[in-house]
Formats: sequence, structure tokens, C-alpha cells
Amino acid sequence: METNRRDFLKGIGAAATGGALGFPAVVRAQTRKGIPAEPVKIGLLAIRAGVAAPVGAAGQRGVEWWAERVNKAGGILGRKAELVLEEESSPKDTVERFRKLALQTKVDVIVGGISTAVGLALGPVAEELAMLWLSWDATTQKGVEETMPKPKFAFRSVDNEVEAIGGAILTAKYFKGVKTIAGINNDYSYGRDCWDAFQAVLKRYTPDVKPVLDLWPKLGVTDFTSHIAAIQQAKPDLLMTSFWSGDTTILLKQAAAVGLFKSMKGCFTTGGGVHDSLKKSFTPEGLVLGYNSMYFNYAGASALQKQFVREYKAKHGEYPPYECDHGYFTVESYRAGVEKAYKAAGEWPSKEQVAKALEGIQVESLSGKRSWREDHVQMCNFFQGITTHKSEFDFVTIDPVEVLPTTKIMKPSTSTKLYEWINATFPLKS
Amino acid sequence: MLVHLANVLLSGVFHASILFLVAAGLQVVFGVQRIFNLACGSFYALGAYVGVSFVQASVQAGLPPGLFVLALVAGGLCVAVVGPVVERGLLRFVYDRDETFQLLLTFAVVLMLEDVIRMLWGTSPLSTGGLYLLYGQLKVLGVTVPVYNLIVIGASLLIALLIGYMLARTKFGRIIRAAADNREMSEALGVDMRRVYVRVFTLGTLLGTVGGALVIPATAAMTEMGIELIVEAFAVVVIGGLGSMRGAFVGALVVGVLRSIAISTYPELEMLLIYLIVIAVLVLKPRGLFGGAAA
Repeated sequence: METNRRDFLKGIGAAATGGALGFPAVVRAQTRKGIPAEPVKIGLLAIRAGVAAPVGAAGQRGVEWWAERVNKAGGILGRKAELVLEEESSPKDTVERFRKLALQTKVDVIVGGISTAVGLALGPVAEELAMLWLSWDATTQKGVEETMPKPKFAFRSVDNEVEAIGGAILTAKYFKGVKTIAGINNDYSYGRDCWDAFQAVLKRYTPDVKPVLDLWPKLGVTDFTSHIAAIQQAKPDLLMTSFWSGDTTILLKQAAAVGLFKSMKGCFTTGGGVHDSLKKSFTPEGLVLGYNSMYFNYAGASALQKQFVREYKAKHGEYPPYECDHGYFTVESYRAGVEKAYKAAGEWPSKEQVAKALEGIQVESLSGKRSWREDHVQMCNFFQGITTHKSEFDFVTIDPVEVLPTTKIMKPSTSTKLYEWINATFPLKS
Repeated sequence: MLVHLANVLLSGVFHASILFLVAAGLQVVFGVQRIFNLACGSFYALGAYVGVSFVQASVQAGLPPGLFVLALVAGGLCVAVVGPVVERGLLRFVYDRDETFQLLLTFAVVLMLEDVIRMLWGTSPLSTGGLYLLYGQLKVLGVTVPVYNLIVIGASLLIALLIGYMLARTKFGRIIRAAADNREMSEALGVDMRRVYVRVFTLGTLLGTVGGALVIPATAAMTEMGIELIVEAFAVVVIGGLGSMRGAFVGALVVGVLRSIAISTYPELEMLLIYLIVIAVLVLKPRGLFGGAAA
């Protein structure tokens, strides 16, 4: 069951009150000079309908979990965190809700944003309203080019094509002898950029690799039998896809029904987004599978991640996907940014001061240490690996797990030209 | 080459058989009630979700997994109960209103059903796991085809034949055709149009829900799956002719097979090709290939 907005606020309020009752000493101890008494309002934009609804829900759950913990521990500098939820939908409507949060609700910060089409619209509005915006998954990239080279208030996600670059590195490492490749990607910017970047990096490792087929189904297609027929005809050594929603599940199921991956390798750069729907009964071992920034079953996970995974499973009946980590990171970095700026200012910092403090800041997120680069881009680790059936779950997991840091698989600044950087960087030395 | 051609055709026919069921629901309702029911896509999605729940329940209840098709059909049939609810509860108030108003109302039903699905089943895609692979594969003309795909194609054909028989040979079919042809005359001859409308709308709903339930093992249930299909179903009825069952059948085959051919030859043309055909039909034969024929 979905929670509606009122229940949601009530829940957070209850958590806050419970926290205050539980830890009165902590709360009193943390009340500081120059700190307003009223709660910090955090605006939350989450997709609630359509293909990306599960992604939005996961991000929201990550933020809620953070809010409960932080409020129990006394809030941000003694101020409770109060979440105000709005829906992310089309760019135009989301911009209106962003304005409403900023001007009417007067929130202190807005987190969220998954679609890059939305991100492109929100970035300039955040700057215009001087409103801190910490994106979860949305960038301000048009294709692979940055549209906002020097933002003051907008902080955005990692470059869109990063997972495809990671996938290409692992393809070169694990699937020697791949000569022909086919791609099936959603017909929009993310899908197209991923396919281009994947090929460009793979060519640096295997110069004679040849694309033999590229397919472009729309987002939300539920039948790939015709696409699979075309792939069977093209007979590539490897199939690459950047699918991240239920279409991953469908593609794998329909591929299994004709034994597609018996005759070719597969690289699913982003399929870990729907990891628990990738059942062993139809997902083969030996595929490259990417989990974005958090792999729920990572053996080297921090105590924080392990606790989160446990509580998430108990509460929602499933294992958390990566978007929880993006959600958690944005609010946790905001908290750290405020505390850092407070030390310098001696009072509750302005949005400008928090924005400055966020540049280069590093915090512990669910998946481990994550940071904001000086030019307002998320830095984190990406988790990809080879699918295996050896686990207690009924869906596939990965082993070995490769940890790919954005310092290696993302271009070093937003002004760097992607393909020049790829040609100068790959193959990686180590 | 021949094997590939057979593969492309078979996958096209599989897609067509799903499209047909949704388009047929659209057609039967339009033929009689003159309402372009956008919600037929939502009925399809609803059928898919209920299908997943029924299969899970039946497996838990100890039904052999091999019989999951029965659970699916039962699920599709049961949830068709939303048909009369929507017809009596909403649509009957707008029969005399403007077409745009009717269209808006059915679109409202689309949005409401999407929310209902989200409330009941959540937002994550649902699937029936590996049941799809349970029946194994067959070699047809050198092509490996999942047996379940053949079951879906067979079921769709059977439903087409049954509808054909019903329309041509049964009393209810004759009444439907008469009502589609001339509503006032039918009423004057003593046909209770209210009952006809309920039954026709329920039939239209049933085609969607059973279609959705049948297809679910091969795919995954997602809240917006109906909207994706309604766009293609729209092309089907324009090509086949609004209100015509034969049109739905031929239109679905045209769209399904052409889409499959396009994906195998010029993938970029996947949707474009279908709309080129739609435009060609609209220009050359504005009423569609079978337009004008009642139901």
C-alpha cells in the first residue's frame, strides 16, 4: 500500500515526537544559539506513476529512513527534519511543484529528480530561485554535454553514461573474444548515450569489435519477441542493454524462452534496478549485471547498509534497489553541509553557505562514502558483476562484485569532452 | 533466411494475437455503443495483475503449476466484473453527450484504474516467475518457439472464432448487429438496449482482461502497460476500420507482423512504419479496410 501525503507527514511527525520523547537529553543538549526552533523543511520530489514509479518509491523510502534516524538522534543541529512530498512527473508540472515548494511551502532544500528531462528543467529554476536542489538520479546533461557548467544551487547526479562505461570495462575483462555486439536500448537520450559510450569504451579494449544491430524500443514496451527474433538473426557475440525497469525482466524472460543467452554473452548495465524480479528460473548465470550505486548483498557493505537492508526487507518485503542510496545521500549530505557551514557562520547557514559547504563534501551514505564533486556532480562507487545462482534468494545475485569508482569511470569535469576523454583514458592501466 | 522469416512472422503473430484481444474489446464497444473506450487498455492491465495474483494463489493452494493457465483464465473472467460496474456506474450517463465528453470519461477511467492498480499491487513490476518456460519449446519451421506463445496465439484465434460465431449465428449476436446498425429500430422492435449495453460492454471488458491475464506469463505486469497497448490498438482499429471485428483481426495482424518486420530490417522504423500505414489507410480508404461493416 502506498502512503498518502497526510499519513506520510503524520508518520514522520510521529517518528519525530517519538524521538523527542526517547532522547530528551540529546535534544536539549543539541539546541544551539542562532538556530531557529521550527523544523527544517525538506522538499521531496518523487516519481509516483509510470515506469519509474518503483524508482521514485525507493528514493523516497531512503529519505524517510534517514529522517526517522536523524530525528531520533535530535535532528539537524537540534531542528527536526520535516519532509514535504511532491510528485515528479512531466518537466513542466514538476517545475511548478518545485516553485511551490520553494516559494509557498518555503522549504530549506529540495531533493529528488530522477528523469533527466526533468533535471534539465529544474536546474535553471533552482538557480533562478536561489533554491538548493540536490538531485537523486537526474542530470542537467543534454546528451553527453553539460548544460549548466557553473551551477550555484543545483547539484546533480553522475553522468548518464557512467554505467555503460563500467559495463564495457567488465565486458572487455570477462568476455574475451567478443567481436560482434548488438544493443537494445530505450529510444531516448539515456539509451542512446549509453549505447554510444559502451561501444566507444569497448573499442578501446577490442579495436576490431563491430556493432551488428541496434534496437530502440520505446520505454514501457512489454513484448520483445520481435526484437529477440532480430537479435537471433544478427547472431552477435554479445547483447548489451541499459534497460533499468520491468523491461529488463521481460527481455530476460523472453530471451530464456528461446535460449538466447546459450549462444551469446549479455551485458545488462543497469538491470540491477529491478534485481529481485530477475528470477533464477529465467535469468542465466554469467551475464554482466550492474546495480548502480548500491548492491544490497555486497559482502563488504558497511554496518549502516546492512542495517538498512535488513529493516527495508522487514518493512517492504523486498530488498532495496540503488535509488534508496541516492535519496539517503542527498539528505545526509545536506545535513553534513549545514553542520559544516554552521561551524563557520556560527548561526543557521544560508542556502548559499550550505551550497558552498557541499562542494567537495564527503559523507557516509548507505553504500559507503559518497561525495559531491566541486562542480556539483555526485561521486560514488558503481557495483557491477557477473550473475550467479549461488545464493539463498530466488533471483540472481552477482559474484564477483566489481566496485567501479566514478573517479575512474566518469569524466573528470563537466566541461571535459566525453569521447576525447574516453580515447585518452581507456584501456585503463590497472 | 527462411528460418529467420518464419521467426519474424511467428513473433509478429504473437504480438498480433495480444493486440487483437484488446482491439476486439475496443471494436465491439464502439460498434454498438459508439463509445471509443480508451479504458480497454486498463482492463488489459487489470487482467494482467489479477492474473498474477490468481496464479500465485493457485500455486499456494496446491494446484499443479502446469494448470496455471486455468488460474489465468479464471482471473481474467472474474475481474471482468468491473465492466458492468463502469458501464452502469459511469458510461450510461454520457451516451447522449458529446463524443469528446465520452472520450474524457473513459480516459478518467484509465487514470483511476491505474491508481487502483497502484494501491492494490504497488508500483514494482510483477511477474509469474519462470512459469512461462514450464511448457518448454517447440521447433516450428526450424524456429524455436516457446509453447506458451503458441497457446496465446491459439487462444486468441479461438476467441476470434467464438466471437465470429456468436455474431453470425446466435440470437445475441444478431441483436448486437441490429443494435449497431440501427439503434432506434432495434428499440422499436423490443430490444432492451440497456441490457444490450451492459452485456456488450462486459464482453468488451472481458476480451481485455482475459487478454491481459493470458499474456502475463510471457511478460511482466506494469501499471502503464495498458497505455502502451492502447496506442497500438488505435492503429489497429484505424487500419481495420472502426467498429469492425474482422477489421480488428486483420488490423492486428498487419500491425503485429509489420512491426516485427521493421524491427528485423530497419529498427528505427518500428513505430513510424505502422503510422505510415495508418496515414495511407486514412488517405486511401478513410473508413479502414473493413469500415462500415457493423460490429
